[in-house]
Amino acid sequence: MHAVVCVKQVPEQNSVKITADKQINSDGINPIINLFDEYAIEEALQWAEKNDGQVTVISLGSDDATDSLKKALAMGANEAVLINDPALEHVDSQSAAKVVAAAIKKLDNVNIVFCGKQSTDDETGQFGPALARFLGWPQLTYVFKVHELSETSIVVDRALEDTLETVEASLPVVVTAVKDLNEPRYPSLLKIRKVSKQPIPTWSLGDLGLGGSDVAGNVQVADRVPPPARPSGEMISGNVQTQVSSLVQKLVENQIL
Amino acid sequence: MDFQLTQEQQELRQTVREFAERELLPKAKEVDEKAQIPASTWKKMADTGLMGLPFAEELGGAGADAISAALAVEEIARCCGSTALSYAAHVGLGSAPIAMFGNDQQKQQFLRPAAEGRYLGAFGLTEPHAGSDAGSTRTTAVREGNEWVINGAKMWITNAAEAGHLIVTAITNKDRGKRGISAIIIPQGTPGVHFGSPEHKMGLRGSNTHAITFDNVRVPAENLLGAEGDGFVQFLKVLDGGRISIGAMAIGLGVAAMEAAVSYARERQAFGHAIGSYQSISNMLADMDTELEAARLLILRAAWLKENGKPFTREAAIAKLYASEASERACRNAVQIFGGYGYSSEYPVERYYRDTRLLTIGEGTSEILRMVISRGLLGELA
Repeated sequence: MHAVVCVKQVPEQNSVKITADKQINSDGINPIINLFDEYAIEEALQWAEKNDGQVTVISLGSDDATDSLKKALAMGANEAVLINDPALEHVDSQSAAKVVAAAIKKLDNVNIVFCGKQSTDDETGQFGPALARFLGWPQLTYVFKVHELSETSIVVDRALEDTLETVEASLPVVVTAVKDLNEPRYPSLLKIRKVSKQPIPTWSLGDLGLGGSDVAGNVQVADRVPPPARPSGEMISGNVQTQVSSLVQKLVENQIL
Repeated sequence: MDFQLTQEQQELRQTVREFAERELLPKAKEVDEKAQIPASTWKKMADTGLMGLPFAEELGGAGADAISAALAVEEIARCCGSTALSYAAHVGLGSAPIAMFGNDQQKQQFLRPAAEGRYLGAFGLTEPHAGSDAGSTRTTAVREGNEWVINGAKMWITNAAEAGHLIVTAITNKDRGKRGISAIIIPQGTPGVHFGSPEHKMGLRGSNTHAITFDNVRVPAENLLGAEGDGFVQFLKVLDGGRISIGAMAIGLGVAAMEAAVSYARERQAFGHAIGSYQSISNMLADMDTELEAARLLILRAAWLKENGKPFTREAAIAKLYASEASERACRNAVQIFGGYGYSSEYPVERYYRDTRLLTIGEGTSEILRMVISRGLLGELA
């Protein structure tokens, strides 16, 4: 079994600044592996361990993203690939999926791709489904449990808004992970040492048989502004009785009770 | 001169920091209150490779250098002092002597399980009547056939009752003074080893400390660590390394106190302004940052010397002395900045203050360290 995990490096907190040209400036904020992708890595590792398979992690990003790939290697992934090209600097989700699909086709015999259900920075949630489309594979989104995974098929539970769904699909397949799919392991300190100096192969668009026009993108960000600040809380004064009745009244008014 | 940590050191440090923030910090208050570190914590630390961080990969370790090992202790202490003390004692005192002086058999039998985190190691040096003056050891080990028979008592031994093995110093030849002291490894469960109740301590309460008595304790002759009579020289070397750990731990606690104080000084208002805007407060914060940074440089230099096989007794003594006292000032002033809240267990700074108080005492008191350092300046005086 050969599993690929798509890993995005994102800022740890959302306290990013928006620059004059509407881009996101995350300088000084610790970069981490996208939360949902950590679950994807752990799930791939667990099944690869059970099935004697191998795990390749792929990230599309700048050279800095090698930090996240090395962390995934130190967690136990076998190989890592960085896709880095100047034309990808402001790539949209759909084009990113197109590029990563090309990279997955370039790899040998991939049976399954795990992604997080969304990234915690852009939050489009489009990457996994778009990737499945470009690969022409079925997609299993919002997966919170993988029951079985063999060389040919997979059985998972999906957490939908009102329904929990158990689904079986044939491989190859794209799976997107929700939070709490598993408990991601910490990287091994021994492996951190080993991968620290290991070069990560980098593929450009050219390496994937693509050009700048393939990733031109259909989505332009017209504007970016910080969300309005939360209104400050209100202190309810008076004796306990007045406070309680006032609180209850407000809860009813706001349809919380 | 290169003040830059290597890529590997930075990555190890970041990983330990993330681990400690997620796994140790949320439990630190409870660890102190219940005077117990959960077994699951040790299991998770073992899974990451922390328990054998500086030991060779072939022996179950992670093969990290002395600088990374010091940074790891600092990061653990920043989140939980008790865990840091038991960890530092496990690595630096309970395990390192076997890595330094043990033969292959001892390394496989005792160092490997400790490095893999299957159990904690402990080191018994201090006695009821011999702390700083460890040359006055009274515990004896007498050779009978193929065994050592150990009698005596030890005091203030970190991890003792939980440890899978205990390294003890004992007199094997009373006529040779300090040259008659040897170190012997006692496996867990050996008959005749009795542990006192856990000591009720001011701080670092989650890290258990015990008195031990040895009543005709018999261990195989091959459990002698290194050569007979080498015990005194061995533990001086062990303590040199231990001082780097304790200094690193002091910095971690000091940094935790400083970070808490900075955050409080930003938020707490007095007379219409954040208290950090008053120089009485901001100067305390500036002093904390300055002293902790200086302490870290001293610790990292001592670790660098150790890693490069150069003498570091003086540098480790200076670093531990300075770091432990700087940490105590930082924690003291953090309590001061928090005012009444600082004196309450509602906030963690009182715990940092209690925790750091040990560090000018354990593994060489400030007074002994000043003696070590000044002797280097003065030489032997008449």
